[in-house]
Amino acid sequence: MKQSHNAGAREFGLRLWRALRQPLIAVLFGLLVGALVILACGQNPAAVYLEMFDKSFFKPYYLFSTLTRATPIIICSMATSMAWRAGYINIGVEGQMVTGTLVATVVALYVPGPPVLIGLLAWIAGMAAGALYALLPAVLTWKFQVSMVITTLMLNYVANNIASYFVTYPLKDTSGDGLSFHTPEIHEVMRLPRLSSSSTFNAGFLLAVAVMLLMVFITRKTVFGYESKMGGFNPSFARYGGTKQVKVMMITMALSGAIASLAGSAEVFGLKYRYSDGMLSSTSYAWTGLMAALIADLDPIGMFFVSIFLSGLQIGGSAIQRSLGIPLEIATIIQCCITLFVSVKLVFKIRKKKASKEEVKEGGVKA
Amino acid sequence: MNSAYIASILNSTLRSTTPILLAALGSAVCSRVGVFNIALEAQMLIASFASIAVNYFTGSILLSVSAGILSGALVGLIVAVLQVKYKAADMVVGTSLNLLIQGGTTFLLYLIFGLRGSLVDNRLVSLAKINLPVIRDIPFLGRVLENLTIVDYLSYIIALLLFIWLFKTVSGFRILSVGINKAAAESLGTKAVRIQMGMVVLSGALCGLGGTVLSMGQVIMFTENMTSGRGFIAMAAASLGMSHPLMTILSSLFFGLCQGIGLALQNIIKSQLTMTLPYIATIVALVLFSRQLKPSAKLKKQGKA
Amino acid sequence: MKHITKVYGSLYANDDVHLTLDKGEILAVVGENGAGKSTLMKILYGLEQPTSGEIYLNGQLQHFRSPHDAVNQKIGMVQQHFMLLNPCTVAENIVYGREPRKGIFFDREGAVRVTEALCEKYGLYIDPRRRVGDCPVGLQQRVEILKVLYQDADIIIFDEPSAVLTPQEVNELLRTMRKLADMGKSIIIITHKLHEVMAVADRVMVMRLGKYIQEMPKSETSIQEMSYLMVGRHIVERKVPPREPTGRVLDVQDLVLAGSDAKNILDHFSIHVDGGEIVGIAGVSGNGQSELIQCLTGLLQPTSGKILLKGQDVAGKTVGEIRTAGCACIPEDRYLWGCAAKASLTETAIMAHQNRPEISKRGLLNGKGAKDFTRALLDGYDVRNSGQAQRAGELSGGNIQKLIVAREVEQHSPLLIAAEPTRGVDIGAMEFIHNKLLEKRERGDAVLLISSELTEIMSLSDRIYVIYEGKATGEFRKADATEEGLGILMMGGKSHEAVS
Repeated sequence: MKQSHNAGAREFGLRLWRALRQPLIAVLFGLLVGALVILACGQNPAAVYLEMFDKSFFKPYYLFSTLTRATPIIICSMATSMAWRAGYINIGVEGQMVTGTLVATVVALYVPGPPVLIGLLAWIAGMAAGALYALLPAVLTWKFQVSMVITTLMLNYVANNIASYFVTYPLKDTSGDGLSFHTPEIHEVMRLPRLSSSSTFNAGFLLAVAVMLLMVFITRKTVFGYESKMGGFNPSFARYGGTKQVKVMMITMALSGAIASLAGSAEVFGLKYRYSDGMLSSTSYAWTGLMAALIADLDPIGMFFVSIFLSGLQIGGSAIQRSLGIPLEIATIIQCCITLFVSVKLVFKIRKKKASKEEVKEGGVKA
Repeated sequence: MNSAYIASILNSTLRSTTPILLAALGSAVCSRVGVFNIALEAQMLIASFASIAVNYFTGSILLSVSAGILSGALVGLIVAVLQVKYKAADMVVGTSLNLLIQGGTTFLLYLIFGLRGSLVDNRLVSLAKINLPVIRDIPFLGRVLENLTIVDYLSYIIALLLFIWLFKTVSGFRILSVGINKAAAESLGTKAVRIQMGMVVLSGALCGLGGTVLSMGQVIMFTENMTSGRGFIAMAAASLGMSHPLMTILSSLFFGLCQGIGLALQNIIKSQLTMTLPYIATIVALVLFSRQLKPSAKLKKQGKA
Repeated sequence: MKHITKVYGSLYANDDVHLTLDKGEILAVVGENGAGKSTLMKILYGLEQPTSGEIYLNGQLQHFRSPHDAVNQKIGMVQQHFMLLNPCTVAENIVYGREPRKGIFFDREGAVRVTEALCEKYGLYIDPRRRVGDCPVGLQQRVEILKVLYQDADIIIFDEPSAVLTPQEVNELLRTMRKLADMGKSIIIITHKLHEVMAVADRVMVMRLGKYIQEMPKSETSIQEMSYLMVGRHIVERKVPPREPTGRVLDVQDLVLAGSDAKNILDHFSIHVDGGEIVGIAGVSGNGQSELIQCLTGLLQPTSGKILLKGQDVAGKTVGEIRTAGCACIPEDRYLWGCAAKASLTETAIMAHQNRPEISKRGLLNGKGAKDFTRALLDGYDVRNSGQAQRAGELSGGNIQKLIVAREVEQHSPLLIAAEPTRGVDIGAMEFIHNKLLEKRERGDAVLLISSELTEIMSLSDRIYVIYEGKATGEFRKADATEEGLGILMMGGKSHEAVS
């Protein structure tokens, strides 16, 4: 009994260590590259980083900004991982988010009825639209073996351009100055409640937490989660084991698109109260979410914290752009370097080599 | 629709084709040696920026073009080291680099020029425009080939040279063998890893030239993320051309035509909608051609199993 | 080769091994899987560097850093897994590495001429313009041999050359070796098939567990002595008591799978398997076995024909439906079909069991149920592991195979398809797996055994079919089957030839 308990604890420890070691080391390397860039800009890296983290995590106002910005990033990372873990390289989360959000906004603005109900309907319609937009490349992959990498990316541009068209012409708010391209504001009842009186931090963050918990549940506790994971590891193995792969692919992609739509809806219903041109693409929420997913190796809890970290980098990045004149893209540079270091797994290579050789030894002695 | 209109569409088709063709050739040489390179976008974008930056400070076309090619090759080298040498996952390396260069060029644009959005300046010089003496005076053809740059012509010559190199020479045979069966190539002393890395760097240089044309050809400016998915369209072009240099010319021309038509339609339909045309066309083309390729692809899969 | 030692981690793959080879001699290096024969040859061919030890060639000390160095010293190797460029022609493959040129251009016509001359010189004929991928396995091996000869090799290493050949092709190969030796080439053959050694070798060297055991002229040894030295103990030959079959479990009628050209991959293939019997399918790999397995398990859709499983036609049904109808399968390629390298042992073990009530209810996984189930498999089938969180890819080949066998046998299905169940596993795991298959038979279930190891088929099966070009070309009772008889059919001979 005690032994099994120990084994369980060891297994848990092993899993935690496996989940954390890679991202932590990669983050250090990423910050190191960032420091070099800052040096090249003629600034003191330590001072800049201090300022960056001060104005993203340590001061309450900035911490709230960080968490607010993290909301869509967390949800996008979940949407990305949903598909990637099953082996479907969906880099079209942005397009699915844009489509879903636009539909949700239109429903909220133009469908008549009691605002509470319509608000709910808007979220659901958005999810349906996001899901359908994600199913399109899934069907093309299934029927025509078209590369999902290319189709999902192409569909981003299509969605962005079409959304831009709608906001510029038919849906444009005519009451304003006419210079900014956005829709009218949604009804007050539909807006998500604020969680802090002094900032824009809102209930969207709770939604992000809920999506994360849902992901944990799906990946660890359901047969669907198991089957999609095996499909991602080795599709032939999953097929041979009798899983219905087409069904798994369709559910996976639909869920991915539906979750993606939540990211944008949370932004509209919780923060901006309207859809404005480029609000979801210029902020590159989807891509930051993708980076978070890669850094955390698709682990939901890991992605949650990495998303907050990356969001903090961006909030801190805009702070130092204002105060020190270093462009905020320093955040992008750091975050991409982190993923590159994650991809190489350099530090643990040696350790792994050793381990695998010991494996060989065991096999050899038995023979 | 009169012939002058058609000629102008064809003219802009040819101009739009060049960056796609060069990048598609880059994609093709990578897949010929079994490397899946999706950092084409990054390889192009950095060159667009580097060439304009050098152009701004030196005013020399030669230096600008070299800077474009070199910077593209440099990004290619990073891909080669990470993906081929350290066997990092292609999707992770590709997406990271695409975003890194997107952020990095924006960063530099602000840091060096203090600008956001784009860099336009009347000091910038354009690639030499060629108007061939006799053809210039032929009514229709003259308009089609009007004001093309030297690189527009060069890209087709490069495709032809690549074809000869890969399919007719001994070193090309060795290169192709790496993509067919890496272990077999290595077993007879071919340095497969070195060849793969070399081809990825070459793809960087080709994309670099493509990115240079983008910022110094039709327009002379740099805009944030100005490649806007062309690297991925080039991937589609290469895969439709079955990574064969000459077939890739045809598929690239198709995508160039879509962009040309998209530009021409802007006077009739809102630009946001015409801008979706190349992207939709890419998807449609992939779907249409997958039908024809399907049986052989399926058979390959079975053979493997 | 003197004092050759190769250490991986703390494993001695080769431990102070010596080897000598004279001109015009055929030396057989024999030993079990994992005895270190292949490592030794990889060192000689420059694919691996020895941890210590020296190689002398004609008295000269050599340092081979790559195969290229070995090739330059006129050493060539015919690998077990062919190193061929399948889409290219025979000639292109043969001249690879030393291509005839015209300036910088590849002289393909020259390559054809060179190949023809080479064929003529050694009496090994083959069409230089044929695509290698279209050639049968025996010819592909001939291309490999010609490649080595084109490189002007004086020492030729054959690594398990007969693994993929029919008995007749093996005889042809042995004749070729003898001919080459007579022409002055020195030959090393690595094998564990002792009758081949007796047929062709001049001298035998035995290895076990990385160590040099003994060396003797062939004339002074026997199969019994060699096998004793290889294994370190006497092998007891398996006696399987006959058993009356119970009712029909699998009945395959007129199964057709169309290929890309006019030729069918499976051509009106008909067999049946009863409960309580093991039915073997013998054949040279590539004659439709893979496709047969995939049709039977639902991975491929047959073009026409019936697959009756317990009387129910399952042709064209999905994998899941066929599994539910009562078919389990040990796949032929364990890494492609049988597992995912990154999956944990639990995840590997519950595949196709995930909907059992003790593992999941209404789509929700029961973690403890899955762990208990996995524990039972790991313990019951002696799978060495370091906890269920271990990745499947980290297990040795024999252990992962035992886990897959456990998973499929524990389906308790009326039909078990066992495809290459012991490929590349050590002798302990092999015996274990064979016993499990026989236990399955004892329980009255049907086992369809598909294997390219003729000895495996002959020792386990109650009945044997031969598959040739997608057709079932012969059926034998165990008592009537001889290696020669099967071999003739495997080569496409007629069944009356096989019997007479």
